[in-house]
Amino acid sequence: MIATIEAPESAWDADVDWAVMEEQTATEDPRTQFEEQALPFMDQLYAAAMRMTRNPADAADLVQETFVKAFGSWASFTQGTNLKAWLYRILTNTYINIYRKKQREPYQGTIDELEDWQLGGAESTTASSARSAEAEAIDRMPASVVKDALQSIPEDFRLAVYLADVEGFAYQEIAEIMKTPIGTVMSRLHRGRRLLRDLLAEYAKERGIDVPATRSTK
Amino acid sequence: MSDCGCQKARKDLEEYLRNEVCKTQHSDIKEHLDSCASCQEEALVAKTLTDVVARACKETAPDELRDQVLERLRAVQATH
Repeated sequence: MIATIEAPESAWDADVDWAVMEEQTATEDPRTQFEEQALPFMDQLYAAAMRMTRNPADAADLVQETFVKAFGSWASFTQGTNLKAWLYRILTNTYINIYRKKQREPYQGTIDELEDWQLGGAESTTASSARSAEAEAIDRMPASVVKDALQSIPEDFRLAVYLADVEGFAYQEIAEIMKTPIGTVMSRLHRGRRLLRDLLAEYAKERGIDVPATRSTK
Repeated sequence: MSDCGCQKARKDLEEYLRNEVCKTQHSDIKEHLDSCASCQEEALVAKTLTDVVARACKETAPDELRDQVLERLRAVQATH
């Protein structure tokens, strides 16, 4: 009696193993699958890498490393989850581990500790007609000016702004990509955008476009 | 639903525009924005800044990068 119960069980086990093996041979080659799913993000990853490394050669290297690393971990990626966020995590990690060490970033590590008054208050005192002019001036900014302004703000701020504004990642996703609490993401994003806005207003003012200062002191 | 006033609306405007959780209810911020021209302008500046940054940061990866990546992936797979 016992033998007859056990026998079907081991036969069942064997069936399962066969099924798994068959499924594996039936699925696509992992590299083909990776190329089909991950490579369409190349332009986006390259654009992010350009903002991180600030030059085309390093950006290209960073994207290559990112894809090689991502392919190496492809087995750990869960199909159906957010591939774009997963790739950005690898990109950001790779950048921090390899490239950031090479660059001189005087503010690094202390930037989050700067008080609001050091960065200027966030409260806007401008009348609404002036702000409308501000929106118009910002809208007309040449891309090169916007990129230069973005490049000149502290890196952690820049990355938060980039991930939120360009990639449209949610705060939670940015927190996971940057490995920081959501509160830090919000603070970096708000301060980064504030600095950016002031830089663009300054640029407009220098060129005689009337955008009144949106904060009292610097 | 009630109008949350300028101060609260301004504080959470970014979160409201990004549809993120914030302290003030979205419906209250919306009600305030509907009736406050000044905060509407502020929202317009915020949205414009996002649009302009997104527009400025568009890049196309060089063709040779694609080939290099494909080559590297093939090389990686060959060593496994």
